Amino acid sequence: MARVNNWQLGREMSYWYPESRPQKQFAAVFDTNKCIACQTCTLACKTTWTSGKGQEYMLWNNVETKPYGFYPLAWDLNLLDMLDGGKWNESGERPVYEGSTIFESAPAGERVLGWRPEDQDYSYPNVGEDDCAGQIDGGASIAGSHDMAWFYYLARICNHCTYPACLASCPRGSIYKRPEDGIVLVDQGRCRGYQECVKGCPYKKVFYNAMTGTSEKCIACFPKMESGIQPQCFVNCIGKIRMAGYLNTPENARADNPLDYLVHIKKIALPLFPQFGLEPNVYYIPPVHVPTSFTRQMFGPGVEKAIETYRSAATDMDLAGLLGLFGSSERVMTKWRRIGETITGLDDDGNILVNVPLKEPVHIRPAFDTLHQITRVNCP
Amino acid sequence: MFTKKTILITLVALFLQGAISCSRAVVTTPDVQAVSAERITLDPNDKVWDAAPLHSSKLILQDLVDPRLMEASTQEVFVKAITHGGEIAFRLEWADASQNDLPGPREFVDAAAVQLPTKIEASVPAPQMGEAGKNVEISYWRADWQAIVDGRADEIAALHPNATVDHYPFQAKPLENDPNAKASAEMRYAPARKLGNNRSGPRENPVEDLIAAGPGTLSPGPNAWSKGKGVRTGNGWAIVLTRPIPEGFSQASPTQVAFAVWEGTHQEAGARKMRTGWVQMLQK
Repeated sequence: MARVNNWQLGREMSYWYPESRPQKQFAAVFDTNKCIACQTCTLACKTTWTSGKGQEYMLWNNVETKPYGFYPLAWDLNLLDMLDGGKWNESGERPVYEGSTIFESAPAGERVLGWRPEDQDYSYPNVGEDDCAGQIDGGASIAGSHDMAWFYYLARICNHCTYPACLASCPRGSIYKRPEDGIVLVDQGRCRGYQECVKGCPYKKVFYNAMTGTSEKCIACFPKMESGIQPQCFVNCIGKIRMAGYLNTPENARADNPLDYLVHIKKIALPLFPQFGLEPNVYYIPPVHVPTSFTRQMFGPGVEKAIETYRSAATDMDLAGLLGLFGSSERVMTKWRRIGETITGLDDDGNILVNVPLKEPVHIRPAFDTLHQITRVNCP
Repeated sequence: MFTKKTILITLVALFLQGAISCSRAVVTTPDVQAVSAERITLDPNDKVWDAAPLHSSKLILQDLVDPRLMEASTQEVFVKAITHGGEIAFRLEWADASQNDLPGPREFVDAAAVQLPTKIEASVPAPQMGEAGKNVEISYWRADWQAIVDGRADEIAALHPNATVDHYPFQAKPLENDPNAKASAEMRYAPARKLGNNRSGPRENPVEDLIAAGPGTLSPGPNAWSKGKGVRTGNGWAIVLTRPIPEGFSQASPTQVAFAVWEGTHQEAGARKMRTGWVQMLQK
């Protein structure tokens, strides 16, 4: 085991290989507050990549309802039960994780702490959908807001982790992290289907294909990313909850990089289960309506501050403007800027990809059409 | 005080116990003795095996690399070997109460392998997958490949009878007037097959030829010359693996051989296996 720096934990940790960060790191921000679980992302991915034999129950992208939705079943609860984790020291400038990661908790004979789902666990991808955390009293939904019950939607893809557990688990070195963009791939020519990666990945985003005899996973639509276009699950998202790009480490954060701005500067987007120790690269804007006792475990100790900042977007023209760039272009916006009330997404060379107004102009159509002397109606 | 009946029962029991233990003890040899046979067979039940001496190899844990098994499973493997022409055949038999030939998530298949040094030298390679500069050759048999060769369909329904599949895109009538369009489209959804990964079905041979130069280096062998067949016995598997006789192997020049067994029920695959050290193999 080597010692590596995991900035999400605020400390060094043990990992199977020495630290070797890519030239740039594929990353994404998902705004959970905008997701409606329409599953358009799931289908966009499914029809593009996993329509083959042996991929029938394989969803590289899925959306589950928290707290009772899982794919595969209990993927997070099983590991949380096994892991001796949960403690953060928040006395300093940065929170420091004092529990164990899945690498530091590896039992004898194992490279990481993991577990294996069985085929039944993949059979109910919509289990728990729209199930509330609590009972809603009769009439409460009509009477008004009801704080006693909540749920939210968690869209998930591979996190293309800085310290992938799938990569560490593979005894053959069949999984690699691309030095050019940090995308984690399974070499389909080399994999021998031992399923160690399936066991090791805490997010259960590597899947065994019994027909090809190999394990397969989300590829971050790398042919698209290489062409400067965001992945299928991003560009097809009708709620515009996602933005793909590249993330720097905190000490190299740039204010003109949209992901750096959201993750490092505003700190409104947080990693999924950072305590597992993988430094995952999909960041979530946490749901504002969920008890933080729940979301702190899922997104780490920055939840309260993130929600506070997110709520202040109404008076923060930069933050509001950048959130408005989500879903505004299929191109990868590696830079952004705001001039007045215009927000611009740019590529690495400074070419303008899209301009978005801070506030959409409002047009009011009078109910009565004077030209045709007729009252307009809303249905055709 | 012992009665005559008690003494009689005791004597019968002792006789039976001795007969059972002797029946194994008298036929096993400390090394693998490859005897010349009238023909090579793939059938583990062929009478040609009757003339070959039986070797019993104790299996031990793979203990060199993680991940690994921490608890032993299969205890021993019984081995016979015959030669004919330029071929050598190994017959492996081991106890395994459960037949595991359906792959899937958390489903692992029974398997076994024979390992030989690529070159016969005084200094043998490390017994666990060889070492750099000292390759080993491996003939690897799997129960799921055997099931496919024996006729199991290359369909998800063959693995999961209740699986529901609406439609595969590549089954639609192709737009282009190309007789290979469907097969080509199907390949796009099976990159391991497209890349020629031997792991990927469908298969016509339940055995794969591999080479290795240390743990983690297992690769397809340059020659696909091994054949094999496995059948269920009353309490386990009996399989035959054939391949060309190792170059230089003769009565004057013995070699080494090693065996490995993977038990599907114990989720054994890759480095999680039971194996032997090198066993001397003689040409008789």
